[in-house]
Amino acid sequence: MSLETLRVSPGYEHIMPIEYQDLINHGPYGRQVKVSEMGKFKEIIEEHPMCAGCAMSLFIRLTMIGLPTPEHTVLVGTAGCGRLSISQASIPFIYGNYGDTNAVASGLKRGLEIRFPNQKKDVVVMAGDGGLIDIGFKHLMHAWFRREKFTTIMLDNEVYGNTGGQESGMTQKGRILKMAPRGKQVDKIDAIGLAKVAKVDYIARIAPTNPARVARTVRRAVLVAREIGSSYIQAYTSCNIEYAIPTPEVMKDAFNVEKERYGFEEILSDRAKEYLNEIEKKDKEKK
Amino acid sequence: MSDPVAQAPQQKERVRKGDLQKVVTPEHMFFEAPRETQFITGSEAAREAIRRANVDIAISYPITPQSETMQQAGYLYDEGYIKDYYRGEEEIGVMAAIAGASRSGVRSLTATSGPGLIRGLEAISSWPGARVPAVLLDMCRVINTPLAIQPDNIEISFLLNTGLIVLHGENQQDFFDYPLIAFVVSEQVDVTLPVVVSVDGFFVTHARGHVSIPSADIKLPPRDGWKCAVPAMDNENPPARISRDAPIQKSNFISYHMHASWQQEVFAAVQRSARYLRKYLKGLVEIVNPDAEEMIVASGSAVSQSREAIRQSAELGRKVGLIKIKSLRPFPAQEIREACKNVKRILAPEFNQAGWLHKELCSTLYGYSNAVIQPGPRVFGGMTMPTEMILEWLEECRK
Amino acid sequence: MLTHENLELTRTQPDGNGGVQFLYRVKNYGVAACSRPKEEIAQINWEVDVIKFKDANTLNFDVCHTTELAANTLTFHNDKSLNEFLKKAFVYFDELNVLEGMMTK
Repeated sequence: MSLETLRVSPGYEHIMPIEYQDLINHGPYGRQVKVSEMGKFKEIIEEHPMCAGCAMSLFIRLTMIGLPTPEHTVLVGTAGCGRLSISQASIPFIYGNYGDTNAVASGLKRGLEIRFPNQKKDVVVMAGDGGLIDIGFKHLMHAWFRREKFTTIMLDNEVYGNTGGQESGMTQKGRILKMAPRGKQVDKIDAIGLAKVAKVDYIARIAPTNPARVARTVRRAVLVAREIGSSYIQAYTSCNIEYAIPTPEVMKDAFNVEKERYGFEEILSDRAKEYLNEIEKKDKEKK
Repeated sequence: MSDPVAQAPQQKERVRKGDLQKVVTPEHMFFEAPRETQFITGSEAAREAIRRANVDIAISYPITPQSETMQQAGYLYDEGYIKDYYRGEEEIGVMAAIAGASRSGVRSLTATSGPGLIRGLEAISSWPGARVPAVLLDMCRVINTPLAIQPDNIEISFLLNTGLIVLHGENQQDFFDYPLIAFVVSEQVDVTLPVVVSVDGFFVTHARGHVSIPSADIKLPPRDGWKCAVPAMDNENPPARISRDAPIQKSNFISYHMHASWQQEVFAAVQRSARYLRKYLKGLVEIVNPDAEEMIVASGSAVSQSREAIRQSAELGRKVGLIKIKSLRPFPAQEIREACKNVKRILAPEFNQAGWLHKELCSTLYGYSNAVIQPGPRVFGGMTMPTEMILEWLEECRK
Repeated sequence: MLTHENLELTRTQPDGNGGVQFLYRVKNYGVAACSRPKEEIAQINWEVDVIKFKDANTLNFDVCHTTELAANTLTFHNDKSLNEFLKKAFVYFDELNVLEGMMTK
């Protein structure tokens, strides 16, 4: 968006809602905000209807802070818990049919490149494990094979949360859930492995235990998608309802799972590495 | 100093032939530009339409032999008439990608047929609610088992209640004209809806016919992504905490009333498109022998068969009328009621088992005409409809 | 493009199998040229019959395989070769019509 045209003309401040004025004057547009500044700027997402203690809502909030250029970002989502929050963002959000995110994003990104040849527009898919690895599997894989230039973020709560707790492809083996009355019979799908096979340029596995790292990972993924190729973040965002995690212990669970099987991992292609090094070097020089 | 990238010889940009075309008004393209008649297949006619349609992105999936059009679109991309093009993973992927591309504000095209249409139907039927202008070329083909590639347009019945604009072409000429008109109507601000241009596959796509076309050095004006009933998903709008897709979200956030009114608006937009279609199609219907007591009402290739049937009937000394329905959505109810006011017998020949056109006619004419509306003749699954069949049905209903 | 000389009617193939039929007429005789849909577009060709019309007022005809022009259905793979055949046929029909007129007398 053109930030100039958004500023409220002098004398009209009393007409525009405070909410709007705050977004324009104190929002994250036109500058990179930091996690450490939270509370000092107007965030992309504030209110949302997600469950108390939901790790996913925390992750989404941090993601919005990590976006390098929110004023030129379009979000794509699908049915699932995440979209309840994402749709409340002050960034355009496409809510398509279940599982179609990465196909929609492919068309959207290419269309934006045609229409705005001089302005990079970032497309970020944020969808659940079911939406991406089960019903959206083919679109996810083929977008990667085509090297589509957008970021895919899997909000992996290892269950179909929004439909009431059914097993998904990302559920761990043995877990008893709806549709897995005797415990899940097969292993959690190795989505990171699939991303490697598809030669995704930036792959990260992360749990929301370190807020600054979440924001940094998102920023790096979006930057790689902007210039290099596909990028993928797989985030552990537990479902405290379906997995019966007491609200005060959600973060404890995240730390435990991170330690056991969800450690931070970043896999970059040479091109992505080179590109990020260059950008981050320039950032340091500026400082 | 010596950056190898900067010093590398610049790769010479290929000339995009689309850039050399002159933009003309739709009126010029449709009515004024000099035309030349060619004898070409329906697929070739569609290709020539796409060449002149100023398409930004075309997304394809092979469903040959029925839809050769999208590989033709690939050649057009290679020549520079289309800006971006790729083969998608399958129809759901393609139809979803079209929804994404159109949301970005660019002119988007795809084509499919029968089974592919049904596979992509979830995505296709969500286009109107998402208010995405786009054009889908649909070459009708048998969808029931066993497989065949003969025309059977049962698939159109699935499209009629989705909020799409649905045109049904009779022949190769229509398959040149309708796609161009479809883009123009689809992108009108008070329409902002996807358009499906259906033709009965095989008979139209795989046979040659006379097509009168303007020269290839002109094209339609480009899509203006800023002109839309809803903002494009380009993040060029003031930030707000409600996205354009939000109102069509699950109703536990907004009242059912809002969802209902959104749907009402979609169907109202279909009706509003009639004004443009009447102008560019020169009427939603074509009427032959308007004063006849017997009328054949048809769409698609059944019209061609009916034209020959009424000619043969005239040779036998009986005047029979014909109403060709060009647009199924919006349905030309007003025109049909007017034309059938004093008609005694109506025949509805169709290339499908369900008889969707017959049902439309019955509900449209109930209370407006005393005509007996015959449920047929109908052929399907690749059966042929010889003109004798229509004449025999006419004879039968006179008894 | 096929010649428009002596072209009496262009219509959809009445048998319902798709395609178009061109009817050429020189008094009692004529040519029915049919271009049908094919699974492979490259296979589209012309199926051509010499025909004899049943009466002067209608276009009802019988296929006529007893002339010197054709003893069966002919196939042409392009418009040019069919046009050459038509040219030849029109001359032949003129002569045939004259001959038949003389015989009736």
